Amino acid sequence: MRWLPLLAPTAVIVTVPAAATVYFSTEQAQQAMFPGATFSLVPLQLSDAQRRTMLDRSGVHEPFHADRVWRVSTGGYFVIDEVLGKHERIKYAVAIGPDATVRQIEILEYNESYGYEVRDPAWRQQFVGKNASSTLKLGSDIRNISGATLSSKHLTDGVKRLLVMYELALKGTP
Amino acid sequence: MKRMRALLGTYVEIEAWGCDADRLATAIEAAFTAVERVHRLMSVHRPDSDLSRINRTAWRLPVAVHPWTARTLRWALLMHAATGGLFDCVLGSELSRWDLMPGCGLDDAMPGSMADLDVGRDDTVRLARRVGLDLGGIAKGFAVDRAIATLRRMGVRRAVVNAGGDLRVMGREPQRIHIRDPADPRTVRLAGLVANGAIATSGTGALIGVRDRAPVRDGGGYSVVAPRCVIADALTKAVAQTGRIDAPWLARFGAIALLTAPRAQAA
Repeated sequence: MRWLPLLAPTAVIVTVPAAATVYFSTEQAQQAMFPGATFSLVPLQLSDAQRRTMLDRSGVHEPFHADRVWRVSTGGYFVIDEVLGKHERIKYAVAIGPDATVRQIEILEYNESYGYEVRDPAWRQQFVGKNASSTLKLGSDIRNISGATLSSKHLTDGVKRLLVMYELALKGTP
Repeated sequence: MKRMRALLGTYVEIEAWGCDADRLATAIEAAFTAVERVHRLMSVHRPDSDLSRINRTAWRLPVAVHPWTARTLRWALLMHAATGGLFDCVLGSELSRWDLMPGCGLDDAMPGSMADLDVGRDDTVRLARRVGLDLGGIAKGFAVDRAIATLRRMGVRRAVVNAGGDLRVMGREPQRIHIRDPADPRTVRLAGLVANGAIATSGTGALIGVRDRAPVRDGGGYSVVAPRCVIADALTKAVAQTGRIDAPWLARFGAIALLTAPRAQAA
């Protein structure tokens, strides 16, 4: 082990506007989760009643974007969703197998910040038009963060909501 | 190559580099599988985990556990002995009383300590009384070490595994380490460089003090740098209770403690 302390513990403070990391693009995640398959976007229309059921059964208030659901040529579905935690915004993909079970969950993007900033549309705007490499650069100076554990409960709730959506809108469709 | 998954109740990031993409992808996948196994074995939230089986049954009958669970418990016993009892994962009764672990089967647990735990050579676990174990203070560190060991076995020589803030660096290349301010999570400090070592940082709120049997909530933040993550993880719990970064037992493990946020008031 080698440890080189750089600063007196309380000396220098860096405020992170947003530490962002991109792990997968949509296409990379599709190929990693369903190798060799092709993907067709599902034109999904969710009724108000369906959306209410999704909220009731998952507790997730963030609007669900129904335009990121793909049917997989080899069977099953590929769904992209986002969750907001207190300090983080996470974009993730779920692979649902032909047997209606979750096969795999991959985090595509992790953005760390205060929740109020994430909920502010002007703040969100800064991400529009950013591709994988530019977003990566944004967070590349701040890495290897040690600190009190962030809970992944929001992601668990998000996956729960996707499964409710699957039950209501996708299950049994060809 | 960098990947992140939700495991151990937090976000686990594995970054590895220095060989071709196929090998990295396979190695990272295997490392996540190791972390997932630790989660399955040692989560207090899963009724079928080794830990939940111990809490339900080991006060009546010996419980056979996975070798990894036995190893983690042996580390816990060692840390308990070395820190004069400051590290203790038999605080299920207190976690339940302070409502820090609702619905985890700890509600009937009696107050106790690690002295009530026995791990046999055949990897069976016995409890002297109906106490409650929680491995939240050590399992993440153990999982990080297993992920690093898996990556190494698969031929990777440079990697960082970060399980929600408990992290370990493999490789001689020093990596910059930032520490999150517990009072303001937007704020991080560059603390130093680590090569071939681990660092863990104490959380606030869910840590029970062994002496007064109540949550430690003095606002202080502490990190421990150590050769293994399991050591760093466990020792932060002991350091956070005393507030002293010069405890004699740190050197025994080759560990260094840092004060990363001042306490609200002197103890």
